[in-house]
Amino acid sequence: MKSKIMTMDKAIKEFVRDGDVVYLGGFIQHEPYAAIHEIIRQRKKGLTVSSCAGMIALDQLIGAGCLDRVITTYTWNPLPKPAHALRRCMEKGIPHEIQMEEYSILSLTLSYFAGALDLPFVATKTLMGSDLAKNPSFLGENKLKIIESPFNGEKVCLVPPLKHDIGIMQVQRADNFGNAQAWGVMGDSKYGINSCSRVIICAEEIVDTEVIKRDPGRTIIPGFKVSAVVEEPWGSHPSYVTGCYDMDWRYFSFYDKATETLDGFENYLKEWVYGVKDRSEYIKKIGKKNLDALKPKPWSGNPVDYGYCAQYQEDYVS
Amino acid sequence: MKYSTDYSPIEMMIIAGAREIENGQILIVGTQWPIITTLFAKKTHAPDITICYEGGVVLESIPDRIPLFTGDPCIASNSVLLNDSLDTLGMILHAGYPDIAFLPGANVDRYGNINTTCFGDYSRPKFRLGGSGGACDFGSLAKRVITMLEHERQRFPERVDFITTPGYLDGSDSREKAGLRPGTGPGAVITTLGIFRFRKDTREMYVDTYYPEGSIEEVKKGFQWDIKVSEDVKVADPPTEEEIRILRDEIDPFGMYLKNNKAKTISTL
Repeated sequence: MKSKIMTMDKAIKEFVRDGDVVYLGGFIQHEPYAAIHEIIRQRKKGLTVSSCAGMIALDQLIGAGCLDRVITTYTWNPLPKPAHALRRCMEKGIPHEIQMEEYSILSLTLSYFAGALDLPFVATKTLMGSDLAKNPSFLGENKLKIIESPFNGEKVCLVPPLKHDIGIMQVQRADNFGNAQAWGVMGDSKYGINSCSRVIICAEEIVDTEVIKRDPGRTIIPGFKVSAVVEEPWGSHPSYVTGCYDMDWRYFSFYDKATETLDGFENYLKEWVYGVKDRSEYIKKIGKKNLDALKPKPWSGNPVDYGYCAQYQEDYVS
Repeated sequence: MKYSTDYSPIEMMIIAGAREIENGQILIVGTQWPIITTLFAKKTHAPDITICYEGGVVLESIPDRIPLFTGDPCIASNSVLLNDSLDTLGMILHAGYPDIAFLPGANVDRYGNINTTCFGDYSRPKFRLGGSGGACDFGSLAKRVITMLEHERQRFPERVDFITTPGYLDGSDSREKAGLRPGTGPGAVITTLGIFRFRKDTREMYVDTYYPEGSIEEVKKGFQWDIKVSEDVKVADPPTEEEIRILRDEIDPFGMYLKNNKAKTISTL
């Protein structure tokens, strides 16, 4: 197999196209901030972005004007504070009007699951009665359908398969071919990232395939579904990656204050996105002392044994 | 056992919430006040409860630092199951295991419907909030939903602007008619003023209990409709000195929830 390693710049240029339906992976952790900043730097336009439970990733893409449509369940600064760019957009149409399709975490995860398996739909008992079910946006009547179950006649809610042109997420480690391993709180990520035609894996660390094969139970997507692999340590900052770094609460607090006004938001982008060439410059700007403070104490388990016998039983073979 | 004379309304709310929990129960827990409330219960009278979070965590012990939200890495690294949302919202909540679902809320109405989406018109809101997350799933599926929030009059409209999380909708049997399972729905709303429950017939919220510092008149003023008061309305026991000590010194020693306002929810326009 050919190596799929490339720079973030090249991966975004080659695989994210204006107007694409983009899945942003990560559930709190694993949010691909490095990739998001590159999308903003390359001034991608007209994207539909689907992100199950986001923090300020969607906020930045909305404020930067990269999006026309959003599919989500939740977008907020986890402090908890408002996502200011999202508010400006929904309340005042700044920088331009977007359409927002909202689900709950379970219903959206089931939609990703249906997309990943290419199921025609999934039936569930959640969502009915809520105004989320009554206010479809751009998906219109294809957002969901409430029908009587053909099995017992009770009301059920059908959610459609959601598929994406491109999916992007940060993971702990991957090999050159895109076999990607991630652990910790996974939320919707495994189903979302498997519902995409093209996939960019951003890894904290590139490892030899032998490392993957010693613990294959941790792989969330096989390499053959992956288009590009980018080595991007600290790629989820200010969010966290289990075992690599913790949440940078101070940065979320800084972002809250910095982006409260429109001018402030634009200055934030100028300084932290347009003003740096790539992730390594951003990381330098954060500073070693601040990064060191986010390094977790180890919490490692016993290695898992995948052993088996080298031969079948002698009298079974003969 | 000595009752405390030095406690805040937030501390009373947390302790009142914890008293709803019985040892051994399975809980699914939302962010903010529910986190500290359930960990406090586990530390005190209910050590054997199981706490589940929407991202895929099942927790049976108390982390060594207080989680600030349900995606906090400190709950993942102490859990007994760590996987994804189809585990906890799916094979636990949708499958009907939790005894109680705990939620925060921006606004709650007469029938226990919760709004965490927006104030004003949905298509052009006056104030846009974060959205559902897993809240709509909790409210749709759980046997008994308990909502916790700071009590301010503007948080209790007769009808919420947007039903993010279904309660009893329009009352009576409208919840079941919408397709939600019988035997699910709001059990209580617990605030800094009291404990509010729901009538079995009309499904309307009523005043069940108020706190020692308060009065029925003050509680009634906290609602934008004329809320009914139970005929045998109760006054809650204040927290004990020991409960307050455990809450402050052992559960939240840095005052992340109790002092620094790290959990305060958005309420005003």
